[in-house]
Amino acid sequence: MSFEMWAEKYRPKTLDEMVDQKEIVERLKSFVKAKNVPHCIFAGPPGTGKTTAALCLARDLYGEAYREHIMELNASDERGIDVVRETVKTFARVRSIGEVPFKIMILDEADNMTADAQQALRRTMERYTETCRFILCANYSGKIIEPIQSRCAPFRFTYLPREEHDKYLRYIAENEGVKLLEEGLNAIYEVCGGDLRRAINTLQAAASLGKPVDAKIVYSIAGRANPADVQKMIETAMKGDFLEARRQLREMIQKYGVAGSDIIRQIHTEIFRAEIPEPWKIKLADIVGEIDYRLVEGADEEVQLSALLAKLVEAAYEIKSARKG
Amino acid sequence: MYQPWTVKYKPKTLKEIVGNREAIEKFVNWVKSWEKSPPAKRAAFLYGPPGVGKTVTVEALANDFKMELVEKNASDYRTEEAVKRFAGLASQYGSLFGTRRIILFDELDGLTGTADKGGVKAITDIIKTAQCPIVLIANNAFDPRFAVLRNYCLLIEFKKPSATEVLKHLKAICLKEGIAAEENALKFIAQRSEGDIRSAVTDLQALAQGKKRLTYDDVSWLGYRDRQETIFTVLRMILYGKTCEGAKRAVDMADVDIDMLFEWIYENVPAHLTDPHDLARAMDALSIADVYRGRIRSTQDWSFVRYVIDFMTAGVAMARVNTKTSGWTPFQFPKRIQALSRSKEERAMQLEIGHKIKRRCHISATRASKEVLPYLRIIFKSNVEMAAGIAKWLDLSPEMIDYLAENEEKAEAIKQAAGLKPS
Repeated sequence: MSFEMWAEKYRPKTLDEMVDQKEIVERLKSFVKAKNVPHCIFAGPPGTGKTTAALCLARDLYGEAYREHIMELNASDERGIDVVRETVKTFARVRSIGEVPFKIMILDEADNMTADAQQALRRTMERYTETCRFILCANYSGKIIEPIQSRCAPFRFTYLPREEHDKYLRYIAENEGVKLLEEGLNAIYEVCGGDLRRAINTLQAAASLGKPVDAKIVYSIAGRANPADVQKMIETAMKGDFLEARRQLREMIQKYGVAGSDIIRQIHTEIFRAEIPEPWKIKLADIVGEIDYRLVEGADEEVQLSALLAKLVEAAYEIKSARKG
Repeated sequence: MYQPWTVKYKPKTLKEIVGNREAIEKFVNWVKSWEKSPPAKRAAFLYGPPGVGKTVTVEALANDFKMELVEKNASDYRTEEAVKRFAGLASQYGSLFGTRRIILFDELDGLTGTADKGGVKAITDIIKTAQCPIVLIANNAFDPRFAVLRNYCLLIEFKKPSATEVLKHLKAICLKEGIAAEENALKFIAQRSEGDIRSAVTDLQALAQGKKRLTYDDVSWLGYRDRQETIFTVLRMILYGKTCEGAKRAVDMADVDIDMLFEWIYENVPAHLTDPHDLARAMDALSIADVYRGRIRSTQDWSFVRYVIDFMTAGVAMARVNTKTSGWTPFQFPKRIQALSRSKEERAMQLEIGHKIKRRCHISATRASKEVLPYLRIIFKSNVEMAAGIAKWLDLSPEMIDYLAENEEKAEAIKQAAGLKPS
């Protein structure tokens, strides 16, 4: 077993090594051949190879010293307009020396950029097109403003098909001397839903236990690695234990820094899945929507969400009494 | 000549200050960090209960470091213009004669109502470009009015010193005053003060000045005024109130501010309103009170506070329809407050680890701290060898290893395997 992060160790280095997204890879290869790259948007769910494709493209284009010609920025960490003004501009305007006359700026998680920053970016992209090409990686291209979208070649990344996913994980397991059982592999796919980074992280954490990786281990890893166990919190509330549900909520928000908006989105999904009378679902959705709006307005996340939990306690109680009566 | 002992025995140097060593060290380090260039946070926000030595600390530091202390009280900066007059002072590091300067805005809690609108904002503006250390002092740094201001400040919490620490201080005073005091008597005063040194010294002076001896009997007649008791009475008036008026009146009795009272109510509602309908109604009332708090924040119009009070008191009282008043349920201290400061540190650590992951793994620190870190936690708990390899690969600090392993023995083993420690 090697002792680094496997997700990084097994990240493809060149476009040839990329297992999937075949059409995209072919088009990127044609860019390398022509030694010309347009501005691009790589859109798609997490763990589908967007950043990898950008890095592979850069390596194929510039060779081993590719790092001198690219810059990676993470919009989630540096999302403000100042970064675009300073860092991006400084990088973009200086011409690259070498065979390829432009540099590449990889803007990861670009859908987290503020609208202002995107406007600033749009001008920078235009002004320095000759010296710098931009690759914007994003989960949702819809969150990128129209003027930028129209300047970029769009690439849509999709989840790996099941066979590719399995092949890749089996290859890693074999290479690392890990016994990966068929049921373990199925479980990984089930909990990670084709997100390859999560899948590899799950495999590594499971392997660290030093036992053959079976379904039980995978589920327990997934449970421990996912602090936002909203489903469990809802169940606790529906059982009537408000205090415990509130404690779980507090831990999610305070200890793990889960955003209130993420929690409420999950509650919304769970409510429609819950085994409660149909009319109740829409009643609760109204309350969820109201609380969601309050959170957007900047209300206290825990106070608002625990008021929602109290409503769930009440709903479960009423449903139970109605069934009995 | 009559001189208050609180002035006469006020610590002149940092060494003499009672308790709060950690806070003082943090503060000193921050002031020292100015020697090179202005640090990221150009203001320090000292907060904590009354009489624990916040102002004294700043004065003693100025004295120890031979700095010129420019001190402003609430009355000096009620309006934006008033504050702006100090802007010039803050724009240079030193004064005319080369001594360094430190600017203190004391009693920030004193800013109230719309009259002071802009005062907080003006202070924030000064901090942004300050060329000398700015110090702010308030009892409650987490007042919503300071929400923006806080971002520019290094928060330093001053806690109540222990009764033993207060006792030591009282003994020293008695020694200097030539009073032979019974240990019991001083202990009683120290305990009664609940960490408020100023009130302890005032009490001591009232009881002992001019005497040669101070006995337990001299002091024991002072009724034990339990501050805890006040808040319990207030909570009882709210959680078991029959009328809106009665519940609302509780606010005037409370010796904590509105936000703290909100936390007390928020903590205790579930245990005292157990019927699901009542609970939902009470929590709903609290959530509406919270919405009005947000409206105060966004409009800076404090008159909305009356609706906050309506819903957190009368709203909660009127929620009781089905829950019977039976037996006696104890009141709990708001746990959220304690948990909040603890988890703030924890999240800072998570983000630091996130940055380490970012350097290696092409993922934002924010996402790494949420999506990769949980897996590291599992690995660090279950596989020393792999953890050590990853620790080296990510270049984690010993503190980060401690945090991820959550177990001292494990953490030490990982550090050793990673070669971070001589075996």
